[in-house]
Amino acid sequence: MTVTNVPRPVDPDAGQAGLVASMRSLPRRMYHSVFRSPPLPRTELERSQSVANNFFFHIHSSKVMERSLKLKATFGLGLMTFYTFLILCVTGILLMFYYVPTPEAAYDRMLDLRGTVFFGTFLRNLHRWSAHAMVALVILHMVRVFLTGAHKAPREFNWNVGVVLLLLTLFSSFTGYLLPWDQLAYWAIVVGTSIAKYAPIMGDEVRFFLLGDDTVGGEALLRFYVLHVVVLPVALTALVGLHFWRIRKDGGLARPQDS
Amino acid sequence: MTKSVELTRDADQGKTRRGFLALASAAALAAAAGTTGLLSVLFMRPRVTYGPPAKLLVGRPDSYASGTVLEFPDSRLVVRRTGNKFAAISTECTHLGCIVAPTDTGFDCPCHGSRFDSLGNVTGGPAPKPLPWFRVAVAPNGELEVDKRQVVDAGTTLEVTT
Repeated sequence: MTVTNVPRPVDPDAGQAGLVASMRSLPRRMYHSVFRSPPLPRTELERSQSVANNFFFHIHSSKVMERSLKLKATFGLGLMTFYTFLILCVTGILLMFYYVPTPEAAYDRMLDLRGTVFFGTFLRNLHRWSAHAMVALVILHMVRVFLTGAHKAPREFNWNVGVVLLLLTLFSSFTGYLLPWDQLAYWAIVVGTSIAKYAPIMGDEVRFFLLGDDTVGGEALLRFYVLHVVVLPVALTALVGLHFWRIRKDGGLARPQDS
Repeated sequence: MTKSVELTRDADQGKTRRGFLALASAAALAAAAGTTGLLSVLFMRPRVTYGPPAKLLVGRPDSYASGTVLEFPDSRLVVRRTGNKFAAISTECTHLGCIVAPTDTGFDCPCHGSRFDSLGNVTGGPAPKPLPWFRVAVAPNGELEVDKRQVVDAGTTLEVTT
């Protein structure tokens, strides 16, 4: 893509006048070192470039079908899921500054987040509600994709990536559920991981592996914490990147043949 | 100057030196990845645990009156004295691991409504197996000792004359 209208540095042999001209053009050159297109795009080409050249706008392809932009095409469910994930990452990192994943401290730290930490109640509730919303949105997104037939070729691989993302979302939700370390959390994980015992042959082994012990205790809390704050978010981030990239490579959002 | 390289995908690619080196490095990488994966799995499987011990002392026999059912919720068991007979019965529901509560007729699970009789046999609810019984012995210091790793037949008791 050609970069237009970029000021060139002045010839070093041009003397004092050259230096003045160089200094004058410095702000523009600095702007163009960061942004490759003008701040206010005026032509169709510049508008298209301003999207294509921006990392953050790049989440949408530079060309989309008009139909795909209508609300009823997707209801924005996929992006809404992504935004809840962003909220969860930001609020989760903030909560990590106060939370301690040990049986002695976890519950008290959770109470402190609710009671004494400035803005703690808000952040914790934002994290909690966004987590619930993300699970609901993932499922609604999958229902939309399925009902519009967008899981069919050539998008069948991206559907599979989406299924893995669903499982990672559910597992993130499950691991996060233990962290308050109250009675509800404790028994939910006792019951939840006991379901793993029913898996044939290696059921007991899977549960032992997951909990790091035969019972839910400090080891399980630590394991779930590491999974919740590092392993699963990193895996989710990588797969979300792949998921978005594949949308574009598979020809954008699914649409009827004739549109 | 650029040298022109013939870019063909022939069937003999595996037989060229380049093809051999590519295959060999791919195999070496796969082996390294496999080994790393296996070692990571072994690493993640704990060799020591920090939970409640499988063997625990539950007090002197004469500290139990006949008919006493004493609960040890951390270790998920009850110790019951009937006459001079002592028994240790698991209180971990065989359905999904909640702690069952002793009742007049046996044990009730608060989570999903499983019911057990006084021998631990299932009398209702979703529990698939009876509650296991554990071996009770007298430790050298005179206290009763329960070993959760030794499951015994239901009805097996230890007779201690006090």
